[in-house]
Amino acid sequence: MTANNDSSDLEALFDSIAGDVKAPVPAPKPAEPPPAAGKAGDDDGLQALFDSVAADYAAPEPAAPKAQAAGESSEAWPGQESVFNRIGHMARELHDTLRQLGYDKLLEDTVSALPDAKDRLAYVANLTEQAACRVLNATDIANPLVDQMEKGAAELGNRWDRLFVNEMDVAEFKALANDTRAFLKDQLPQKTRATHAQLTEIMMAQDFQDLTGQVIKKIVALAQGLESGLMGVLIEVVPDTRRTQEVDKLMNGPVVNAEGRTDVVVNQQQVDDLLDSLGF
Amino acid sequence: MAVDPKMRFLVVDDFSTMRRIVRNLLKELGFTNVDEAEDGAIALQKLQAGGFEFVVTDWNMPNMDGLTLLQSIRATPNLKHLPVLMITAEAKKENIIAAAQAGASGYIVKPFTAGTLSEKLNKIFEKMG
Repeated sequence: MTANNDSSDLEALFDSIAGDVKAPVPAPKPAEPPPAAGKAGDDDGLQALFDSVAADYAAPEPAAPKAQAAGESSEAWPGQESVFNRIGHMARELHDTLRQLGYDKLLEDTVSALPDAKDRLAYVANLTEQAACRVLNATDIANPLVDQMEKGAAELGNRWDRLFVNEMDVAEFKALANDTRAFLKDQLPQKTRATHAQLTEIMMAQDFQDLTGQVIKKIVALAQGLESGLMGVLIEVVPDTRRTQEVDKLMNGPVVNAEGRTDVVVNQQQVDDLLDSLGF
Repeated sequence: MAVDPKMRFLVVDDFSTMRRIVRNLLKELGFTNVDEAEDGAIALQKLQAGGFEFVVTDWNMPNMDGLTLLQSIRATPNLKHLPVLMITAEAKKENIIAAAQAGASGYIVKPFTAGTLSEKLNKIFEKMG
């Protein structure tokens, strides 16, 4: 082995330590051949480096409780440095884990996609609100039309009833015949056409579904990517005991998926049953 | 059932669409005297100004949520008799229990039908006597 080789070994070792704190044991392995080659200078350097790295790893473990005990003193406390070292290692570990698993790229992509997702959701909210307004406007227009048809028909019907029980003279009958003709030939068709136009408007107001459906599908894909990325990170770095903390508050909004849940109701009947069972 | 069709309702929801739907349903049931508020804080102001006989409220709203509104109504001597019907998407059992304990007169989960609203209103009217 030449000095040149040794120095590249050194470099590789350094890189591996800097780049992979997670695996301190395999990292020093490349350092073993140089001593065998008898290059004293390199050997010392490597040994010093190895020692310092090994010390970094060994020190924090026993130091941690001490640091806690001394936590109240405002000045630098004995375990301070090792705690900082440890935190530094954890950050490094997280960073490397992310990189090894390819999550850094994934998270980066996702984060950059979030503003876009926000815009898309705003677009969905906008379109659905417009659609709701169009439909409500249409029913506001159509309801009185239907009411008028109903009233007109009922009024004519009552007059025809009077004719059938012989309570009507000829002049009244003529007026009734004319009114009925006008109702059937003008008023009714005009109002049904107008109602029909509003029904068409209600139908057309549903065109948002196509557009929002596409947008929502994209956001669902994004959310899935984000979820699996974050889930991977969580599984790597969060202790088991911390994983099952349910968000527990009273303002959760609609239950999107009630399957397998016993803490929610899925219809009005269950609300009523629950309240009944409690005596309300 | 002699319910005054002039009974004054306050419909509280942060979404104008839902306020409009509830208002339309009330109209179909014969109640045309309806005012709206977009959150609990505005609702409480309107209620304190007087004249309302029935409150229909959402739960999840900015500024003041429906449960807080309900609790405030029940804690205010001149309002505490008001019937309060909650219409909300909150479907957890603890929500329903919390609302009942706070003194809600009825609880409807969204999405709901005109039939459900009519049924719950009648039930509340019956209790009011």
